[in-house]
Amino acid sequence: MNSGDRRLGRRAFGALAGLGLAAPRVLRAQTATEMAPHERRLYEAARARNEQVTWYTAHYNSETAEAIGRAFDETYPGVQAKVVRTTAQVAFQRLSQDMRARVQNCDVFSSTDVGHYVQLKADGKLEKYVPENTSQIIADLRNIDPDGFYHTTSIGTVLINFNADRVKPEDRPRKWTDLLDPRWKDRVTVGHPGFSGYVGTWVVMMRKLYGWDYFTRLERNKPQIGRSINDTVTMLNSGERWVGAGPGATTLRSASRGNPLGVNYPEDGTLLMISPSAIVKGTRNPNAARLFMEFLLGKRASEVQVQNYSEIVRSDVPLFPGAKNLSEVKLIRPTTEEIDQGIPEVKELWRETFGV
Amino acid sequence: MSSSAADAAPKTAAAARAAAAAPEGVLLRRLRYAEPATLLWIVLIGVLVVLVVWPVAELLLTSLRSARTGTFTLSNYAAAYGRTRYVDALLNSLALGAVSAAICAVLAVPMAWAASRTDMPGRGFAWLTVLAAFIIPPYLGAIGWILLAGPNSGWINQAWMWLTGSEHSIVNVYSFWGLAFVIALNAYPFVFIFAKSGLDLISSEMEDAANILGAGTWLTTMRITLPLVGPAILAGVILVFLETIALFGTPAIIGIPARINVVTTQLWQFFEAPVRAEVAAAYAMPLLLITALLILVQRLLLGRKGYVSQTGKGGERRPIPLGPLRWVMFGWCVLVFLLSVAAPMVALVQASFAKAWGRGFSFDNLTLGNYTYLLFEHDAAWSAVVNTFVFAAASATFAVVVALAIAYIVKRRVMPFGSLLAFLCMAPFVIPGIVMAIGFYAAYAGPPLLLYGTSAMMILAFTTRFLPIAYANGAAGMQMIHPEMEEAVRILGGGRITAIRRVVAPLLKKALLGGWLLVFILATRELSAAIFLVGPETRTISVLLYDLSEEGNFEVLSALGGILLVITLAFVGIGMKLIGRDFMLRRE
Repeated sequence: MNSGDRRLGRRAFGALAGLGLAAPRVLRAQTATEMAPHERRLYEAARARNEQVTWYTAHYNSETAEAIGRAFDETYPGVQAKVVRTTAQVAFQRLSQDMRARVQNCDVFSSTDVGHYVQLKADGKLEKYVPENTSQIIADLRNIDPDGFYHTTSIGTVLINFNADRVKPEDRPRKWTDLLDPRWKDRVTVGHPGFSGYVGTWVVMMRKLYGWDYFTRLERNKPQIGRSINDTVTMLNSGERWVGAGPGATTLRSASRGNPLGVNYPEDGTLLMISPSAIVKGTRNPNAARLFMEFLLGKRASEVQVQNYSEIVRSDVPLFPGAKNLSEVKLIRPTTEEIDQGIPEVKELWRETFGV
Repeated sequence: MSSSAADAAPKTAAAARAAAAAPEGVLLRRLRYAEPATLLWIVLIGVLVVLVVWPVAELLLTSLRSARTGTFTLSNYAAAYGRTRYVDALLNSLALGAVSAAICAVLAVPMAWAASRTDMPGRGFAWLTVLAAFIIPPYLGAIGWILLAGPNSGWINQAWMWLTGSEHSIVNVYSFWGLAFVIALNAYPFVFIFAKSGLDLISSEMEDAANILGAGTWLTTMRITLPLVGPAILAGVILVFLETIALFGTPAIIGIPARINVVTTQLWQFFEAPVRAEVAAAYAMPLLLITALLILVQRLLLGRKGYVSQTGKGGERRPIPLGPLRWVMFGWCVLVFLLSVAAPMVALVQASFAKAWGRGFSFDNLTLGNYTYLLFEHDAAWSAVVNTFVFAAASATFAVVVALAIAYIVKRRVMPFGSLLAFLCMAPFVIPGIVMAIGFYAAYAGPPLLLYGTSAMMILAFTTRFLPIAYANGAAGMQMIHPEMEEAVRILGGGRITAIRRVVAPLLKKALLGGWLLVFILATRELSAAIFLVGPETRTISVLLYDLSEEGNFEVLSALGGILLVITLAFVGIGMKLIGRDFMLRRE
């Protein structure tokens, strides 16, 4: 998992898929009536202390985040999740403000920027908790923090997306380096690493694979630079641009509505985005917070995410249409340290190369 | 509106009296004989402290403190202005503000003049054009224009290439001028509304005098009419300038692809991890100086001249007959309508009824699904709609009441430090919403008030954010009312509150309702402060729109934009109907 271009274990996927087929009963224990013992313990403790959980989240769009909050409320009647959904930087800014004002608003913090966790952990602001349900998620997504402060609860992909009306099947880029082909001059669209954690991680990964030269050459094709990685979807839809480095989930969600979009999982690797969650130190709702962490890793949360076109951390829940099983594609990912150190560097380099 | 504003004044004075009644003795006796205006003044100072001084002070302190140790430092300023790129962003913003404001004046002043002073056909149409342009949130308009003027796929460019067989596009929205133009197409209503409300108050006497002395329509307009409404036009232009440099949505959507960095997009960079709120605060400080400077310039320009045109002596207004020229003026209004309303709206409406907007027009692509989804299936949409309009109405009312009271004190020099109050009222305008939100958050989110996530927080923030508009509007109106009418009330034994309620407020009814509608509309589309202060229970439509734009869900976004526009239009229509009838009665 920590080595950059290693394939994400096929074996792990296979094993888990097998588990999913062989033991549906174990997994059905996730429903409200049949909670696993550890969940029941937490639930009863949370009920006894009348705890609620406040969740600052940058994962998912707001609809999905709200739907997950509702699913939690339904699964655990009496323990409510208060969902505060913003972008990652705003969520982090808000948490920092809370801490400076010594207000304990947030119980569970879910950012898309791993760097936030590195910093919070170093400052002693996170509560150590290893959810039991981590044992059920895709093996390579486990233990992203060896000390157990934060855990993968959400994933996403960056891949090549394109306007299927404008680009003939044989011309569609298959590798990241294909985007450098002069035929795509004035046709490429990307997001901005200063706005999007997805784009920042993608830039770090491309630099690692091909050096910064990749971007000086990309600039010769005059890419359209948006903010969010999802801006690529908008640009492809309008026909303003034809090919992009974009998000798997949003592109396929838009394509499912009939928009002329398609994706290619690049031969040189689909970037896997890992978004963690953690319990904030000093929470006044420790049982509810732990229960919520378990819930995020549970089957019900994955089902809600799939309904909303999000990629998921479990392999025992069927994916949304158009998505490839990630065990069948080559996945790449920088290490946490590379992301944490690399994003500030590449943002500077980006502004030098692209001027914005 | 005006009557509620006037009613509120004695109410707040009474509240102040009640509050002051607690400490007994000398103070009580002294207060009993104090003029109500004094108490009002004290209340207003309290209101401004809450709305402006405290949050801004929090910002200022943040800018002067080391983030780690909390000790005094100037290093944040060095960091904020230590790089060419950061300084360039400021210069870009100033240039963009100036160009956008100039384009606005070119678009709006002829329209306002024709709609107010001439016999141009379709004067109501001009007014509706302005309102429609104004209620379109800037980021919606920007998305519409990307569809129209995108260099590769924009409809205009495709039509051009198809018509001429050319291989090159004709317009490019992703450029400095494209950006300035799109901003101006959304912001010109500021200038129009200010110019028109000024023009509406001028009687024909002075134009008659010029005509009698041999000046034609053109010369009269240029030398008499427009200079008379100079303060109103200037106020509108300055607001556009300030609005432009504080705008985040449009520069982010168009400026970044155009590779133009401005103050607000630069500020965003300071909020990247590691968050440097203290540098952002320092970076925002010079904007406050710019406001102060602009207000000073405005005062110097207007200082010596008398602009009072509404006196107690009556006067008549007659439309100027333009002859065939009136069709030219009408054509201009139609052009502005096409550019600012029709074109971007067609693009958005198409998307809102499309299953997939990327497929363009076709019958099998039509659906009502986006609307039914929002109205019947979406959990957050309804509460967001209700929140949006409750917050907008509450903050508009609050802002107009406070602004009228302060404008009165400033213009009539009732109490000392009036110009300080005026400055405090104007200051929020140049604080970009996201920075202001941080000040608010620091001041009110935590103990003792714990306002985070409450409606009160949103209403306070919106009120502060649009207080300058309400104030500029109220002050421009006050500027045009000669004190002699109030003096008459005083001579006849009426108090100052009576004078305000019975004379000033009725005369200002139009200006006040205009100001209320302005703030209301702006608050319905406010994004940059809302996105930061919003809690789970206080989401607004603009926040939902932003979320939808982030996830590329453009069909539902357009439908939600459509719902926002329809409801806003209904409110505005009711407002117009009320004030319009009243206005006609008064004139005839």
